[in-house]
Amino acid sequence: MAAASSLNLVNKVLIISTTEFHIVPLSESALLFSYGNTIDTIINEKIMALHDKLSTKSFPGFIESAPAYASLAVYYNPVFIKQQYPDVFTVFAFVQNIIESFAKEIDHTTSFKNKPIKTVPVYYKGEDLEWVASLHQLTTTEVIQLHSGVIYHVFMNGFLPGFAYMGTVNEKIITARKDKPRLMVAAGSVGIAGAQTGIYPTDSPGGWQIIGTTPLQLFNKTKKDPCLIKAGDQVQFFAIDKNEFDKLNEY
Amino acid sequence: MSIKILKPGICSTIQDLGRTGYRSLGIGPGGAMDFFAATTANYLAGNDEQQPVIEMHFPAATICFKSNSLISIAGANFDAHINEVPVEMYQPLFVEKNAVLSFKKNISGARVYLAIHKGMEVEKWLGSYSTHLKITAGGYKGRLLQKDDIISINTIAYEFNRKKIKISPAVLETLYKKQSAMRCIAGPQWHLLHADSEKRMLQSALTISNQSDRMGYRLTGENCYLQTTVELISAPVTVGTVQLLPDGQLIILMADHQTTGGYPNIATVIAADLPRLSQLPVNSQLHFQLVSLQHAEEMLLSIHQLLSEIKTGCQNFYEKH
Repeated sequence: MAAASSLNLVNKVLIISTTEFHIVPLSESALLFSYGNTIDTIINEKIMALHDKLSTKSFPGFIESAPAYASLAVYYNPVFIKQQYPDVFTVFAFVQNIIESFAKEIDHTTSFKNKPIKTVPVYYKGEDLEWVASLHQLTTTEVIQLHSGVIYHVFMNGFLPGFAYMGTVNEKIITARKDKPRLMVAAGSVGIAGAQTGIYPTDSPGGWQIIGTTPLQLFNKTKKDPCLIKAGDQVQFFAIDKNEFDKLNEY
Repeated sequence: MSIKILKPGICSTIQDLGRTGYRSLGIGPGGAMDFFAATTANYLAGNDEQQPVIEMHFPAATICFKSNSLISIAGANFDAHINEVPVEMYQPLFVEKNAVLSFKKNISGARVYLAIHKGMEVEKWLGSYSTHLKITAGGYKGRLLQKDDIISINTIAYEFNRKKIKISPAVLETLYKKQSAMRCIAGPQWHLLHADSEKRMLQSALTISNQSDRMGYRLTGENCYLQTTVELISAPVTVGTVQLLPDGQLIILMADHQTTGGYPNIATVIAADLPRLSQLPVNSQLHFQLVSLQHAEEMLLSIHQLLSEIKTGCQNFYEKH
């Protein structure tokens, strides 16, 4: 354990010292703050820290920000900003400066590892479970143990309202998306795509390898806070049987 | 006081200017495809820009007004008629109880907007009246309008005897003029385009395919390629984002786009050209024209300047009546 945590520390130092962010326009009313093309918890924590900072201390004309794996989109109202600050050369440069200074102020010491873990029950009997097991020469029980034996970091929401991209799965069960996406994947389906795992919040076409189903409702439009799992959360799955699934079923 | 849908049309929904504040949860903004027409329709009907409007495609809905109402129609020209008599767009229209609004012919454009004085009693979900079809929330029961739907309205209508207000055709001509160039700014992955593809994107005509809807316009044309293949992780996108699909074709993300995407983000159509793009029907041709970010900002500011002039004009008109 000690070795593992010191290794993490080394990684963290290396990443922070070698990774620089860049900011590019996404449109005339949005910019993209990005650390590049990396799936990494430390990078994502920095993205989430900037996202959280903007939600507490924003700037005039700020509309919202949306985090992804290694990038954050910042949406703003250029008309409002130009009215307030008629002398700015471009609104983009004005917002870019603000975001740069915010990024430099971010406190990297806050870790999401301290957040309470959300536990999600899964009835592991998905259509692709046996295929995933045979592909990796494992038993289905081993796949279940490997999938539920990890605390996942939620990197982002996207694709569908409330869809959470989580990772990373144990390397023994990393599985590419299906060649042909299914036309309909039921709400609650738990899937694997590469090193990512996720749950379909609503019925949707989709190409993830489905290994199980959760009885929990991931998205409830009638709630003020409609999403069960959000970017920055820590999630762990646990296996349940059919009886428990039926008892817990929220659909 | 209500309106009744006699015929629903193919894709008639309640929209406003979209839902903000929930992109981080994967909930996109949605909203009217042509923000200029939707906003103008509201101003002409004596509303502010926040009121819900009905967005219709062709064939559009046939609607009966169950009480005297004051309305306006903006956007596509679908040959609007009230009680079988042709009516003009882009001006306030007084309609009598039991009047029937219908659209006869697809003359130009792709989406028409109907605004009603003082708005409609429809569902506001997460701060917006826009219909979210996937979640079935917002607007009228979160779905497309259907035959016999009845929507409560708040109109206390009165007839105009004095001079009317109308948007000058010259203004609309500038905004919607027939030209194939869609101005765009370079996207985060523009520099990854192969030199030939870069040239092709800016010079060759692309056709809006019939697989286009409120989520996105799929374009068909010569294939585009990147200099090298890259596997990108998902990143945020926005309305107007032009993505390069694995088959070499391009897609422009429109109002109901997903919040994130993993395809190369090549360019973004500037906001000032989104009204014109939104009014291009399937099979129309377009080509991209690269402009500076500064130009994009200036164009957006000028379109908002125009909208604020229209707003003031309409407010002055209503104050006098």
